[in-house]
Amino acid sequence: MKKTVPLLILTLSLLAGCKPTAPAPVATSDAASSAVRTYEARGIVRQIAPDRREATIQHQAIPGFMSAMTMDFTLIDTNDLQNISRGDEIAFKLCVTETNSWIESVRLVAHVVESVTNGVFVFHAPSSELKPGDLLPDFTLTAEDGRPIRFSDYRGRVLAFTFFFTRCPLPDFCPRMDLNFAEARALLRAATPATNSWQFLSISFDPEHDLPDTLTNYAAYYRQQDADRWLFSVADTNTLARLAPLLDLMITREDNTISHNLRTVVLDPEGRIARQFDGNRWTPRELADAMQSAARPGTNAPAP
Amino acid sequence: MSHNEKNSRWREEYTFLGVALALAALAGLGGWLIAAARHSHGTPPDRPRELAAFTLTDRTGRTVTRAELAGKYLVVNFVFTGCSISCLDVNRRMAEIQALTAGQPDVMLVSLTVDPRSDTPAVLAEFGSRFGADTNRWLLLTGDKSALYSLIENSFIPRNPADPYNFMPGGFAHTERIAVVDARGRLRVFYDGMKPETSQAVVEAINQWRAQGDSL
Repeated sequence: MKKTVPLLILTLSLLAGCKPTAPAPVATSDAASSAVRTYEARGIVRQIAPDRREATIQHQAIPGFMSAMTMDFTLIDTNDLQNISRGDEIAFKLCVTETNSWIESVRLVAHVVESVTNGVFVFHAPSSELKPGDLLPDFTLTAEDGRPIRFSDYRGRVLAFTFFFTRCPLPDFCPRMDLNFAEARALLRAATPATNSWQFLSISFDPEHDLPDTLTNYAAYYRQQDADRWLFSVADTNTLARLAPLLDLMITREDNTISHNLRTVVLDPEGRIARQFDGNRWTPRELADAMQSAARPGTNAPAP
Repeated sequence: MSHNEKNSRWREEYTFLGVALALAALAGLGGWLIAAARHSHGTPPDRPRELAAFTLTDRTGRTVTRAELAGKYLVVNFVFTGCSISCLDVNRRMAEIQALTAGQPDVMLVSLTVDPRSDTPAVLAEFGSRFGADTNRWLLLTGDKSALYSLIENSFIPRNPADPYNFMPGGFAHTERIAVVDARGRLRVFYDGMKPETSQAVVEAINQWRAQGDSL
């Protein structure tokens, strides 16, 4: 488990803009001192001032503005730190004018430390880890034909997705996932009564290598020249940085390969998590059954 | 005493002194080299740490608690079965240590998973058999994620505050290390699990503590 983790540029693009709204980072042409540049950032809260108007944040590099460091930031709206405590990981927006800077749109990414008793840290699982019944936040991926797709494109259908990379060397890992998808797809096609509203999606976590052409070539083997309701795609590093913790997906680049675990997820037609398959000890039949029951209205209630 | 004699005597003494010095230097260097080979790659824990109470599950589905390990020397590593390179090396080292400590009932090996959702008892059983892990001597433990992370954080390794974006669950730093806990439950030393000489170093450290009655 070497620490050869690539630098992740954790620019978030989904948050609302600072006022005035501007995509990050953009210098407005307005010469007035009210010109605000905004940067998306992410970090760990190390200290919060008692009046909640200042926070010490150990932040990741803010591209185009500053490198990773620990520093104090001003808050204009003290409500921004509601439910945030020391040790929490947050995403936030850094707003900079010629004379001033502050942060806003603070969003909790994960509670890191629940409590500290006599110097003993008490952890709980990151709050961002999704459970059955939770809505999956929307993300944009790149499909094998190069066009952008979103999870929300599949609302109204049951969506099964899994993760892989085409260079995966272990036959019981990524290839097993895609073989299982092939078999589950065959089972769903043969199912009576037919379940029409379903889709498979294989997502690569190797954006540097798995370009659209590579994906299509890889997909051809598993899909047997039949692309019906099974798409291959790739997630970029920014997306993975936010998506992986939600699914307890781990990806560690080491030497010339990627160590990872396996996560396969079934979303119901509303985009909620119906079922999660961890590891590789599940069968195509179990996946097909889970997709069928998620497709049937009234049976996709959150599992306990 | 002729001039010649005196000269030769002086030369003799000088030679003797020289040889003695050289021998002393060699002995010193040798001793240092042996000591260095034994100890240079051991790292003490960042702060005093003791094995905390825990309740986890081993690969047979059996509940394992801290009490069961009381009085044992523990060789501990951190695994996830999805690992394709470095932790396989570390587990080979664990297997070597298991072989080297065969017949030493006071030595136990423990592997803690950092990916418990994947690493169920059944998955760990298969993983353990790849390395010839003896069910009685080498425990592969899984369980509740927060329980595992609390144990690792409190008793072994800190999370890496400099790298919160590590995808490794828990963000633990240096999980390629092998930790050695003494018979009193104190974490004594880490060794680099990627280095071949670590197996021997672990065994020698335990032998040394055992000989000292573990009272230091």
